[in-house]
Amino acid sequence: MNELIRSYGKGLTAVFVTLTAFWLLILIILPQAFMLEHSLWIIDRDDQLGMKIDRAYSDLGLMEYDLNSKEGDEKTALQEEVDSLKATIAELEAQETDPPTVYGLQNYTKMSSLHFTIFVKSIVYALMVTVLALIVCYPIAFTIAKLATPQRAALLLLGLIIPYAINELLRVYAWLMILDYQGVVNSFLAWLGLVSFENKSWVPFLEYSGSVFVALIYAYVLFMIFPIYNTVDTLDKNQLEASRDLGASTFRTHWRVVIPHAKPGIAVGCIMTFMLSVGSYSVPQIMTRGKSGDWFSQLIYRQFFESQNWNVGAAYSFSLVLVCLGFILIMMKVFKVGIRDIAK
Amino acid sequence: MRGKDVRLEDVVMRFGDFTAVQKTSLKINAGEFFSVLGPSGCGKTTILRMVSGFIEPTEGSVFIGEDNMRGLGPARRPTALIFQNLALFPLMSNWENVAFGLEARGIDRKTRRNRAFELLALVGLQGHEEKTPAELSGGQKQRVAIARALAVEPAVLLLDEPLSALDLKLRQYMRAELKEIQRKTGVTFIFITHDQGEALTMSDRIAVMKAGVVEQVDTVDNIYANPKTPFVATFVGENNVLQGKVAQADKEYAVVETSQGPLRGLNQDGLSAGETAMLFVRPERTVLVNGVIPDNSFEAHFERRDLEGAYVNLFFKTDAGPFIVHEANRGRHGDLAGAAKVGFNAGDAIVMRPGEVDNE
Ligand SMILES: Nc1ncnc2c1ncn2[C@@H]1O[C@H](COP(=O)(O)OP(=O)(O)OP(=O)(O)O)[C@@H](O)[C@H]1O
Ligand SMILES: [Mg+2]
Repeated sequence: MNELIRSYGKGLTAVFVTLTAFWLLILIILPQAFMLEHSLWIIDRDDQLGMKIDRAYSDLGLMEYDLNSKEGDEKTALQEEVDSLKATIAELEAQETDPPTVYGLQNYTKMSSLHFTIFVKSIVYALMVTVLALIVCYPIAFTIAKLATPQRAALLLLGLIIPYAINELLRVYAWLMILDYQGVVNSFLAWLGLVSFENKSWVPFLEYSGSVFVALIYAYVLFMIFPIYNTVDTLDKNQLEASRDLGASTFRTHWRVVIPHAKPGIAVGCIMTFMLSVGSYSVPQIMTRGKSGDWFSQLIYRQFFESQNWNVGAAYSFSLVLVCLGFILIMMKVFKVGIRDIAK
Repeated sequence: MRGKDVRLEDVVMRFGDFTAVQKTSLKINAGEFFSVLGPSGCGKTTILRMVSGFIEPTEGSVFIGEDNMRGLGPARRPTALIFQNLALFPLMSNWENVAFGLEARGIDRKTRRNRAFELLALVGLQGHEEKTPAELSGGQKQRVAIARALAVEPAVLLLDEPLSALDLKLRQYMRAELKEIQRKTGVTFIFITHDQGEALTMSDRIAVMKAGVVEQVDTVDNIYANPKTPFVATFVGENNVLQGKVAQADKEYAVVETSQGPLRGLNQDGLSAGETAMLFVRPERTVLVNGVIPDNSFEAHFERRDLEGAYVNLFFKTDAGPFIVHEANRGRHGDLAGAAKVGFNAGDAIVMRPGEVDNE
């Protein structure tokens, strides 16, 4: 802070600090706090409320009718009863229009077993996507960083980036067309005579979770390749040669020299891919067309926009956030990298 | 003695249509300290990489001992390379660095750990085994790199300018250290450098290279005393150059007609009268003429004097270019001004066919 003041003066420093604080507040703290708050209460709506009010009104009608036939003390007593009933009605009506909120962990603890299964399944799938993406991307990243000539590396990187200029949805639709019943792959298989469109013996790729995996990996490869590429790129080529010169196999060179060096990149790549796939809504939605079970992200969407149950939705979302935080912590432990390395 | 000899037979290395190393044959003896000396970009590293197996020569063969190395990768050659930037593994401890080659050979952890500790002790690094390279000084890192290379028991150790990153004091110290290790282990050292002083102090023999061509291979004494080409004459040590036409010549001596008059020197290339020639004479073989008149002498214009303590360098200007006299400091050069007479004996000068000289 003092450093900043010394280099930029008080005015600019104030601007920096305000902007940073604003950014933290608006982009990180506020939405999460909002989610958390929403997830912690429910509206305690009484199903019997309408009936109770109706009954009170009919009681009131009877009493008011009786009121005309009563005299003296009796009349005053009844009048009091009428007044108190009116007050009760007003209270009930207020409850109906503005039901009370009850704080607690109900939204988290009351997840149905079906939803919980989906929750776990989504996490497992996202983990599998992450591992598959790592297996696919590490060799690519290494090749671009260390084996390709600089011109070819630039070309390869460009080739990887260009598809990302297209909207994510369109990229997913492309895979849809490839894997569809009468899509590219099946057409090819039909051409080979392995399947036939007439008797619908095509391979229903889209009904397998695998198709979602493929599309997810495709959608998020860059987030895995780039961090790994960036770290591998900084590895001194002489280290590879030294390892080779000392007799190490390719596998040992990678295991002992390249991977330890690329750890921060691998951790970042895994974290990004995991978070993006566990929270991805459009990819499973488009790829499965609802034909092979929901992903958790779709469940959350439903809570918000179909059941209008924002509190449960918020609780589900926040659970996902917690899972992601947990994943980050685990990655940091496993790869023995600190926040600093990851931030790089 | 563990070392093996290394032979390059008609080796050529081309990258595309650029020839980095012209046709070269070299024999490096077993257990020898052999230096490859040359300016930047002349192909020294390329030669080293052909011996270590990172590149295959376009033509010709490399032999180590009796074996032709063609087709063998760096892992399968009895060589170990010390890189210019050392290329230590920064995430491993020093002993793991040293043990890496043994690890790659499947030797169990305990054995390789013991061996690594022994080697680190050999290079004087006891107590630093568990540290990482980043925690060491430049000279210490150097030693780890040496220990790491020695761990795989190479017959030939290849060193690519390993001292260039060190400061002068440390460099001088490490030179002695390297010599000592070479003597103790008996491994053949092929040492690459562009520092002629380093090559002269450390080597048994030197190959001087220029632009992909090995100009001369000889013992250090011969390289210095009997350079075969103008480039070697000027790249290794200092030399005064005087150009002219041969006026008369016999088997032993030639007289060159220069702007400073006729000068006599050894007729090394067997030149005959009428040919153009270069005459070389080392500054320490020249004198300020004072009483005794040497074989050759002429007037030159005195410019300045650099004191080196025990010696002085006197700089003169002649029509043929600068001329330097290197003399013991006898305290009598202070009042030198204007013209002075300088000279040298014919036996100390070499007359050669003209060629490219090194002018840094
Ligand atoms: N892989 C390669 N592809 C193309 N040209 C190369 C390659 N390796 C080396 N060269 C060229 O060969 C020439 C000799 O290179 P080399 O590395 O052997 O020089 P050097 O003598 O080691 O120089 P320095 O003292 O600067 O290290 C240089 O002109 C270099 O550009
Ligand atoms: Mg080099």
